[in-house]
Amino acid sequence: MTAIRVHELRKSHGGFEAVKGVSFEVPAGEIFALLGRNGAGKTTTVELLAGFQRPDAGTVRVHGLDPVSDRAAVRRRTGIMLQEAGFFPDLTVAQTVDTWRDFTAAPRPRGEALELSGLAARAGTKVRQLSGGEKRRLDLALAVLGRPDVLFLDEPTTGMDPEGRRDTWQVVRDLAALGTTILLTTHYLDEAQRLAGSMAIMDAGEIVAAGGMAETLAARSGRVAFRLPRGTDPADLPLPVTLDGELAVCRADDPDLAAQTLLSWAAGRGLRLVGLEVRTATLEDLFLDLPRSVR
Amino acid sequence: MSLTATYRLGTRLFWRDRVMLFASVLTPVGLAVGLPVLMGNVHPDGAEAATTIFHGMLAILLSITAFMNIVAALTSRRDLLVLKRLRTSTLTDGQILAGQIASTVTQTVALIVASTLAVWLLADVPLPASPLLYAAAVVAGSAVMALLGAAYTAAVPRAELAAAFTMPVFLLAGVGAGAMGPIPLPSFVQSALDLLPTTAVVDAVRTGEMLLPAVNLAVWAVIGAVALRLWFRWEPRRS
Repeated sequence: MTAIRVHELRKSHGGFEAVKGVSFEVPAGEIFALLGRNGAGKTTTVELLAGFQRPDAGTVRVHGLDPVSDRAAVRRRTGIMLQEAGFFPDLTVAQTVDTWRDFTAAPRPRGEALELSGLAARAGTKVRQLSGGEKRRLDLALAVLGRPDVLFLDEPTTGMDPEGRRDTWQVVRDLAALGTTILLTTHYLDEAQRLAGSMAIMDAGEIVAAGGMAETLAARSGRVAFRLPRGTDPADLPLPVTLDGELAVCRADDPDLAAQTLLSWAAGRGLRLVGLEVRTATLEDLFLDLPRSVR
Repeated sequence: MSLTATYRLGTRLFWRDRVMLFASVLTPVGLAVGLPVLMGNVHPDGAEAATTIFHGMLAILLSITAFMNIVAALTSRRDLLVLKRLRTSTLTDGQILAGQIASTVTQTVALIVASTLAVWLLADVPLPASPLLYAAAVVAGSAVMALLGAAYTAAVPRAELAAAFTMPVFLLAGVGAGAMGPIPLPSFVQSALDLLPTTAVVDAVRTGEMLLPAVNLAVWAVIGAVALRLWFRWEPRRS
């Protein structure tokens, strides 16, 4: 079943076309990552999905409903973590959650929301005293308060410390395991790779690459890198490499096999491949391989 | 849920904001009670002069506690992106605004009732002859001023400018209702000021006349509702 369906979506702001004919679908229960650099059109897309803006052309459906004309019905099933949204600075964390529980049908208990977002110890702290990362945690607590079927997370871990990011990833995974459909935007490629089942890369308002995460990465070459032994001519190596300073980089569909070949070759000559690093394709490689005009 | 939740939120935030309380409670109540008491003591027709000035003071209370207060509250929540966050909840736009307006009306009516009792006790201003008419005028006037204030936020570029932008409204309402004492004005200016909703409320309270003030307030309510629908901004301007 498709939870989110976007077809030929277009949106301009004052003559600038922020979203240029974007289409994608997210099956129910899947984590979908929308990637791209700042200004690529990710946030405008999320705001169109959430019904904050009306598309100039194209359609958005969330569980078959139009987020603009059926906003109330869509809101009952969605949780939204915007990239920028404010709090009442003088309310405490607990008061903020309680206020939001008032606006939510069948909300989670306050304690559960605070536990889930890792803010239980900060319940009595005023929002104005929270760090950027803690505010992001509070954002998350409010977004999941109504146990939504669909969750939009716009840059959910920006400003978080590594622990906060790991905690948030765990929450996202747990919610997805319970069947929540999650669309997240991020410019942390490792975050998308860890979490998402499928992804789309946006640039200048268009989708320039899309697909299932595993298949997309499997279809790309991996990488073996090592410091080229002194006095070695790269042409003598058993596999073609490119040089990045002292570093020799070999691209291969099967990087493990390539590493074995290179190690055997080196052993036969009594050489050591210092700093050997073997890596399957990452989203970062994919991103960096996109034409420079697109990046 | 819904309207009552936003109503409670608006009320809770109103009474928590100490700085704002000074401006929207202490100042107008101080003026509305203090000036009639002063008049009662210095004027030969003490109670009569106090009554006249107190009726004019209703315009001040309406323009500060209803109008200025809602302009300040909504512009600051707009600029803090709190209104945007409220729209991520299941609340409709109408519930968000109606809850805030209802909360502002409650504070305004409460302050007017308190001031009415205070000037009765301290300056011998008689209690309203028709409490029902008085209540109707005060509630309708507060609602129209809160609605107009919500609509007026579209003209206020930033929250810091809310007070500066509402000052002219406060001055016009005060002068129009005679709260600033007798100021000689050209007749066309007085006629224009008579059209203000605050003047309509003061007229209704002073004269007991119902029909014209009701029509006046109804027209302003329509203007406010249409302006709100056309121009209300939920987010700060980006440029």
